[in-house]
Amino acid sequence: MASDTPGRMVTLGADAPDGGGPSPELYRRIEGRLSYPTDLLDIPGLLQGAILRSEYAHARLLRVDASRARDMPGVHAVVTADDVPGLNRFGIVVRDQPVFCEDRVRYEGDAIAAVAVDTRAQARAALAAVEVAYEPLSLVTDPMTAEQQVPLHEGGNLLAQETFHRGDPEQAFAACAVVVEHDYRTPRQMHAFMETEGGIAIPDDAGGVHFRVGCQSGHRDAEQLADILALAPGQVTVEAMATGGAFGGKDELTVQPAAGILALKTGCPVMIHLDRFESCRAGMKRHPVTARMTTGCDADGRLLAHRVEAVLDTGAYASLGPAVLENFLDHASAPLYRIGAYAVSGRLVYTNNGVCGAFRGFGGNQATFAVESQLDALARELGLCPRELRRINLRSVDEPGSRHQPVRWTAPPVQVLRKAQASSLWSPETVPRGRWLTGTGMAMGAQGNGLGDGLPDAGGGRISLSREGRVRVEFGFSDYGQNIGEAITHSVCAVLGCQGSDVEVMLGHSRGPDSGPTSASRSSVLVHGVLAGMLPRWMEAVRCQAAELTGYPGDDLAHGPGGVFHQGRQVLSYRELAEHGRREAMVADARQDFPVAPGQDHPVGRYLQLQIATVARVMVDRLTGRVRVTDLHHITAAGRVIYPPGYLGQIEGAAVMGLGMTLTEDMPAEEGRLRRDNLDQYLIPTFHDAPTQRVDVLDGTPEDDPFPVRGVGELGIEAVAPAITAAIEAATGVRIRTLPVDPGVLLTAIHVRETAS
Amino acid sequence: MNDLYRAPEPITFELNGKTVTRSVPAATPLLDLLREDGQCTSVRPGCRIGRCGVCNVLMDGQAMPACLIMAWQLPGRRVETVEGLAGDPDFLKVRQALAEESALQCGYCTPGFALSLVSGLRERRNGNPVDLGEAIAGNLCRCTGYGGLKRAVEKHLSPCPSMSTGAGNSNPIPGEPE
Repeated sequence: MASDTPGRMVTLGADAPDGGGPSPELYRRIEGRLSYPTDLLDIPGLLQGAILRSEYAHARLLRVDASRARDMPGVHAVVTADDVPGLNRFGIVVRDQPVFCEDRVRYEGDAIAAVAVDTRAQARAALAAVEVAYEPLSLVTDPMTAEQQVPLHEGGNLLAQETFHRGDPEQAFAACAVVVEHDYRTPRQMHAFMETEGGIAIPDDAGGVHFRVGCQSGHRDAEQLADILALAPGQVTVEAMATGGAFGGKDELTVQPAAGILALKTGCPVMIHLDRFESCRAGMKRHPVTARMTTGCDADGRLLAHRVEAVLDTGAYASLGPAVLENFLDHASAPLYRIGAYAVSGRLVYTNNGVCGAFRGFGGNQATFAVESQLDALARELGLCPRELRRINLRSVDEPGSRHQPVRWTAPPVQVLRKAQASSLWSPETVPRGRWLTGTGMAMGAQGNGLGDGLPDAGGGRISLSREGRVRVEFGFSDYGQNIGEAITHSVCAVLGCQGSDVEVMLGHSRGPDSGPTSASRSSVLVHGVLAGMLPRWMEAVRCQAAELTGYPGDDLAHGPGGVFHQGRQVLSYRELAEHGRREAMVADARQDFPVAPGQDHPVGRYLQLQIATVARVMVDRLTGRVRVTDLHHITAAGRVIYPPGYLGQIEGAAVMGLGMTLTEDMPAEEGRLRRDNLDQYLIPTFHDAPTQRVDVLDGTPEDDPFPVRGVGELGIEAVAPAITAAIEAATGVRIRTLPVDPGVLLTAIHVRETAS
Repeated sequence: MNDLYRAPEPITFELNGKTVTRSVPAATPLLDLLREDGQCTSVRPGCRIGRCGVCNVLMDGQAMPACLIMAWQLPGRRVETVEGLAGDPDFLKVRQALAEESALQCGYCTPGFALSLVSGLRERRNGNPVDLGEAIAGNLCRCTGYGGLKRAVEKHLSPCPSMSTGAGNSNPIPGEPE
């Protein structure tokens, strides 16, 4: 077995972030000099595009007449389903979503037509002039009965179902000393990125289209867009430049198809930028989950049996729903814990309730909320400390995973638990303070890296020397705020011994290397592997050039700050090398498959696992039932820290997103209508809602681990919700199992308890 | 809308130290007026209802959402955006604090935060004790969880260590009695 010591414990953010000083990129952003796709308003001849959305959540489309709209002032083009040059469908997993609806609408955000106009002000009138006749159809709004309702798609309303089995749970339940069964509900959370969906499509002279749109996978988008626009793959290019937040919500195509069709139709660049109202109505959301969990253990607290029956509402179209279901089930099988037998099953259904897809956590955090709550319920029944129950059942590093797959843990899970147990938030003990009840709780979570079960998962990169003499590193990932560029720069500098200013990172161009999607916490793992593959070859190639130019033997030359060195003295700068050397000889690339467990052709479960424990401290208002999270203390084990501010920011940002999902965020659907239309009703956390956070990192991985770098984009959201509800229980004695926590429900339950005692 | 309000009319105001005149309908939001020619694209739409602070500008020194300011309100006013603050000492201080603590990720909302902080620092210079946590209470950020912002304010922008900054402070719900 590998060494159990994952290296030192680091508290992030306590000291200066790191020695290098802030990168120039940060200054550009603060000064507003970084242009987001929707900022590109000075392009000559730019037209504004706008999309007509359905008035009904479910209706037959009898007639769409755009003739009157074409005569409106400022209108250059109006396009409908008849104008889609190629495939009128898109979708990452299942291409079931129409660019423009033909004969039926399935949610209120469905697109029916789009216009290109001179100014935004003209768009509204032009859209209103498109005549649409609907015949309303009966709605599918309840995911629990969706399968018995009118089918929204040819195959019926059950899009996917899956069950993970291990052993014989029914027999195991019979042997349990304690069994708990509870129902859990999680909300339809909205990504609420600050830059709503948008960007620009620019036609070229040769009939192709260039896209600059906020997105997460330039290459995959280019493929889908070529099919929609009936263009050859090379005729569509996508530049996934700076994106103002994504979190999964820009993984699927958003405005690209309509903008592309309008650009081809008019021959002009077209920008579409959804306003917040339209983004709320049409954009992706997180899958709401309804789950019944039954879990049992013996009298000593050893988990014996676990059963899960869940329904996930994917809304009108599939998007990444099937993959979300898989990840939900993976997390519902309790990857951190040893359970003798389980049957974990889920159903993914179509409804008319908006459309759901990828969102940070990807079904996993919904499952973890329920699993961790179950453990607390068992501990309470047994009169055991919840931490002790976890300690008894946590896996060790040399055990297989919950689906019997080999697993690379970053550290022994029990180490993470011990650190959480030692958190200063546990004291002072719960003390009533006037109208405020305080309490502390914790939860743990596991997070896999990579796309998972059987999905093709590979990525590549390229390194070269720019004309100006900078080390140019290219990857296909897009930067939507996770600052992968900084992580790449730091990694390259560490190997070359150069400075950040020597390196230029180019991201997210579909003509550049394909790195696969920017999702599933996979980028950092791939960057590390690809750099390890290509950097040594590139350094060798550069030394060869330097040897030719200087006459020194290549073996005596070394890389250092700003160029190539001989016996500690710089003999050539990168600029001189770019000027006098053969740049085409100084190029290297590499491609790597995402790591899968040895012997697995078809990956099952997650091989690379990370862990987090989150300790939450809350104050509950006895007058209003409102909950305030004052502190979150995270202990993470997620491999080596490459770029400390990035790591810290990912954990803190994800945690506050999880806090929002726990306390305030929901997009309820009533009769197929999403009931929140802007940020005054849909409440995301503000500065004042943000708790004091501390992030302690178990830095590194066991010595023999070949994957020392892991991705931390999703880890921070994993355990927040159950930690907060555990803290609420510690404060009030009430366990909440429906999110977001309803202050009225909590208040009533507190009063009932207080009256009873 | 009445045609009277639709007809463009000349509007003169001060933008980043220069007097500018724009011919726009009186009801044009300042947000659109600033972005239209691609000149001040640091002022970005987030919600268009004054809720998120992404489109903040300084109007006569006060941070305000540009989506709620109409063109007819501008004559005689002084409007500043981060594009015009390159040499401003308060902005430079804010910029350094935000950069040192990596208080941003995607950066879309950051100019709006910076302007709220600059406005707060200017207030302080006028002798008003301003809680910078209050100054940015109306700005939304979805990426950072406000950790870097909290550190920027506490470590680099607080007049004294005891200054409350809102996030994680002892009063559970600011503005309400305990």
